[in-house]
Amino acid sequence: MPIKPLYDMQLGERIVTLMAALVLVLQIAMVAQRWIVAHIRIFAAQSFFLAAIAATIAWYNHAPHIYVVAALTLIVKVMLVPILFERLVKRVEIQEEIAPIINVPISVVIAGGLTLVGYVVAESFYRPEEPGLGHNALAVAISLFLIGFFTMINRRKALTQVLALLSLENGLFLAAISLTYGMPLIVELGVFFDVLVAAMVLGILVFRIRESFDSMDVSRLRRLRG
Amino acid sequence: MMARLIEALAQLALLVALAPLVTGVIRTLKARLQTRRGPGILQPYRNLRKLFGKGMVIPETASWIFGATPWVVFVSTVLAGLMIPMVAAEAPLGLFGGALAVIYLLGLGRFFLALGGLDSGSSFGGLGSSREMTISALAEPAMMLAIFTVAIGAGSTGMTEIAGAAIGQTWRFLAPAQMFAFAALALVLIAETGRIPVDNPATHLELTMIHEAMILEYSGPYLALLEWAASVKQLVLMTLLINCFWPVGLQPTWFNFGALSGIGWLVTKLLLLACAIVLIETTNAKMRLFRVPELLAVAFTLGALALVSTFLF
Repeated sequence: MPIKPLYDMQLGERIVTLMAALVLVLQIAMVAQRWIVAHIRIFAAQSFFLAAIAATIAWYNHAPHIYVVAALTLIVKVMLVPILFERLVKRVEIQEEIAPIINVPISVVIAGGLTLVGYVVAESFYRPEEPGLGHNALAVAISLFLIGFFTMINRRKALTQVLALLSLENGLFLAAISLTYGMPLIVELGVFFDVLVAAMVLGILVFRIRESFDSMDVSRLRRLRG
Repeated sequence: MMARLIEALAQLALLVALAPLVTGVIRTLKARLQTRRGPGILQPYRNLRKLFGKGMVIPETASWIFGATPWVVFVSTVLAGLMIPMVAAEAPLGLFGGALAVIYLLGLGRFFLALGGLDSGSSFGGLGSSREMTISALAEPAMMLAIFTVAIGAGSTGMTEIAGAAIGQTWRFLAPAQMFAFAALALVLIAETGRIPVDNPATHLELTMIHEAMILEYSGPYLALLEWAASVKQLVLMTLLINCFWPVGLQPTWFNFGALSGIGWLVTKLLLLACAIVLIETTNAKMRLFRVPELLAVAFTLGALALVSTFLF
């Protein structure tokens, strides 16, 4: 009996690989981005593709609880967090561009190099005898993680560092979902709650930093203020 | 032998005749999207006819290079166009060189264009030449990496083999390596054809112009040749992009069945790509010149990732 195309594992692997590649491209675009609102929207788009990956993995592994994870990603990371941050941007009236420490062309090339590191590391986890959707996705996840770290180091402003942290979290999420096909639902729920609370707390923190220092530049956080 | 000659002539005619139309379509679509009326899609032909009928003013300081440039640019661009597959996977001049020949024929044209800009003696020409060289030095590696990615898949740098390997694998462009390479080449296309985030093709009244600054001193038939060459180059790069990565409807040979359907597909795909270009041009503002290297660094990184991921995936 021929396998129906929608249940064909190979097609599933292709779709997941493609979307993982898109996530990676968006991560590199984030490194190159200068406007904070565009930065937030790229993060939303990246999270959207993550949700799509989760849904695809749920479909091919017949794991209904991953659909819940996908839906949560959609609600929290694609809608709530970006809306929260865009409001914050409006409130603190950020006008200026993001000023990275290393200039953008070199940052982008470094991001490319980090992707290579990600692939080399993921290669050692690869076991061809175990069929699965995860191989490329794991490499992309490690790259997201590394590039996220790099972006955090490379930025001066608190809000952009928070966004880099969240994209790093996206990498963790991708690794978890592609290796284990979904952790227990209760763990996922905890993680999402964490992300939401972290985003809110960091948002308030950013606002406070701005209030008391007239800037979001973290390199100014050297003196204590009463 | 005869068939080869007819092929080459047919592609030559298609290339030279279609190029101004593509430019016209892009301009009209852009005008419509901005709720302007626009000059109509045949306007580039009228411009060329008008320019060919006019006299020329040649700067006193100019040497023979000034006069040779339009010819070199036009001929090298058209030759590059004959080396890429348009209607059929078989490129008429495919035997004379592959992807590298195409890139360097375009490079030869660009080199002479820059010389011509310098030779006119005006300060704008020199500015334009230096900008063009800066951008092309950054765009060329990205383009090479993207084309090598598809060349590895085909096992050859010959354009005929590259396009031939892609036929029948309609969904191949969904592979990540192909997608990265496509994105890199698309960014290069925008930079090389002087489209909006990099250069504004619609005006020669801007201080940051690149292509228009180089040809500012040209007039009459020479200007017509240069403008024609620019639109041929645009067509060549667009065709390269669509036929390497999305060869739907590409015939294996010219006389297979219906070169007509091949032409139909070519026009459809060009139209789709033109729509994409128009959307990009309308929704983006022109970048500052010092920001252009950032765009090209993204293209380069994508190209490098594409090449590397063909080995890793």
